[in-house]
Amino acid sequence: MNRIVPRDVASDGGIVPASSEIVLEIDRLQTEFRTPAGIIRAVDGVSCNVRRGETLCVVGESGCGKSVTALSVLRLIPSPPGRIAGGQIRFEGSDLLAMSEVEMERIRGNEISMVFQEPMTSLNPLYTIGRQVGEAIALHQGLSRREAMDRAVAMLQRVAIPDAASRAACYPHQLSGGMRQRVLIATALSCHPKVLIADEPTTARDVTIQAQILDLIREQRETLGTAVVLITHDMGVVAETADRVVVMYAGRKVEEANVADLFDRPAHPYTRGLLGSIPDIEGAARSPGRRPRLTEIKGMVPSLARLPPGCSFAPRCGLATAACREAAPPLLEHRPDHWAACWHAERVLEGVVA
Amino acid sequence: MSATAPLVEVRDLRKHFPVRRGLFGTGSGQVHAVDGISFAVAPGETLGLVGESGCGKSTAGRALLRLVQPSEGEIRFRGHDITRLNEPAMLPYRRSMQMIQQDPYASLNPRMTAGEIVEEPLVIHRMGSRVERQERVVQLFERVGLRPEQRHAYPHEFSGGQRQRIGIARALALSPALIVCDEPVSALDVSIQAQIINLLTDLQEELGLSYLFVAHDLAVIEHISHRVAVMYLGRIVELTDRTSLFETPLHPYTEALLSAVPIARVSARGRKRVVLSGDVPSPVNRPSGCHFHTRCPYAHARCRLEEPALRAVRDGHLVACHLHDAGPALPLARPH
Repeated sequence: MNRIVPRDVASDGGIVPASSEIVLEIDRLQTEFRTPAGIIRAVDGVSCNVRRGETLCVVGESGCGKSVTALSVLRLIPSPPGRIAGGQIRFEGSDLLAMSEVEMERIRGNEISMVFQEPMTSLNPLYTIGRQVGEAIALHQGLSRREAMDRAVAMLQRVAIPDAASRAACYPHQLSGGMRQRVLIATALSCHPKVLIADEPTTARDVTIQAQILDLIREQRETLGTAVVLITHDMGVVAETADRVVVMYAGRKVEEANVADLFDRPAHPYTRGLLGSIPDIEGAARSPGRRPRLTEIKGMVPSLARLPPGCSFAPRCGLATAACREAAPPLLEHRPDHWAACWHAERVLEGVVA
Repeated sequence: MSATAPLVEVRDLRKHFPVRRGLFGTGSGQVHAVDGISFAVAPGETLGLVGESGCGKSTAGRALLRLVQPSEGEIRFRGHDITRLNEPAMLPYRRSMQMIQQDPYASLNPRMTAGEIVEEPLVIHRMGSRVERQERVVQLFERVGLRPEQRHAYPHEFSGGQRQRIGIARALALSPALIVCDEPVSALDVSIQAQIINLLTDLQEELGLSYLFVAHDLAVIEHISHRVAVMYLGRIVELTDRTSLFETPLHPYTEALLSAVPIARVSARGRKRVVLSGDVPSPVNRPSGCHFHTRCPYAHARCRLEEPALRAVRDGHLVACHLHDAGPALPLARPH
């Protein structure tokens, strides 16, 4: 496939719109872990496409498989005990799972890069941040140490680190958590990747810092045309940043839609439950009195080692019937571009409340 | 503020921690974790205490319970000064003031069964016979949504949400009047978070509990609080009822905080936001004057020199900001 984004677009500053061109295709991915309780399937047949310049949010609660999906894309699943047991991950048409480790190293941090939740554990405490940002540039772009350092300082400026030239000589512990997260983003973007995967990049951060980091990611996507896969549990972050949303539950994709459809008319009872369980910060604007009770999703996420037969969400679902407990519902397109895996999706879309 | 006598009242509370530097810990400087705060909680009321990490909100909650000894100031519980009571004298008050912690795993002894954990406060305070205590534990388990037979299980056998229920049962064991809730839902998944918030709300209605609810999540604070205090670098910068705080915030920090919260509604996108630059300054070397002036979009010369006092600009709406010193409040941009 031809490269449409030039290698170095940092200088042109033009806005690259989201397009229909698919850069990353996850196709029926299965990732398993061997545990004392037997083999558990953390990701069970998940498919999704990432298009150039778009922001895809992957949401779900702990253990739903969202982070394992991201790690599988970069083939960073620790093995053993983990193993990608099936499926394909195609980047610009070629299957990452069929590549040699050497070929994969050319992809990681260069074409596809990742930002993790905790920046302190992702940065090496023994090297200056300038050197760490420059490392990927030197490795992938074949620049000298000095040229790489210049680019690193430019990247640090780009992510709005004040006084970047002198900060480049700092060690990670000398920076605040928000600054470290910026350094990680600078590193991840240093080679202008086509896909940036950010796994809960703002979860441990305060709201004012979160707003800064999300603005930064948005700006990079707009100017560089980078596709962003944002993994989060925060529906507020999803509403504000996503173009499309994938909802995961117990290792499977249960719903996918564009962001407006998902929030306005969720098709899966789990998605509807998630949206109802968040306190509404605008409550005061609607009524000064007593707050309505939050919608509870009863029970808890099932253990992946002991998934119920049929739909994994059935034990917690108010709409569940005998059919749900017998067979897992297929993922179907219930409305144009709006997919859900639920036997009762039509009723949920029509607003039937259990 | 309500007309009834406050259950607990804090005046000019301060907690400073020494900073140790160097190999032998001969250090200089102090962390002004809590730096002169005053508030009251009425019976049956929830006061939300909100702010970013390091603002001193958790220390304030712990100092209120005398889990850390305040450096200065006064704590009154039902009118009695408890600031300097020794442990035996403090014991009857401890029965009425309990705490729920953030991390339900770290706050439960892994070697005790859930039932023993919930019973322990009753044993310490020598309440009832063994049989009566067992009955109370069963009753508490049912009240917080756990099955009575689960009292024989150990903490590791429970999920995060269930552990938080154990923590709540333990806090309720002595029928307290006040519970300090320190980030009780921030470690939980959203669907479980809703269960715990609903449980806390129900318990308050049923038992007339007062909560000091410490959290960083503004949506949770909005949902559960009657009044809210916003803290920044050890001080309360704004204190008022929930509706006023969320509808007409007067302090520029509150305004920025509210506008930074992502709203789970697609049509809220693209709203005008105040994005603060930079980080919260260190509580060791705080900026002069108003601590917020280094990040404040409205700061003027006076803010760098003079510390604004927390004062009422309207009935029951307290704010510490020079913008509101002269006459009636200036209308700032609304967050929504």
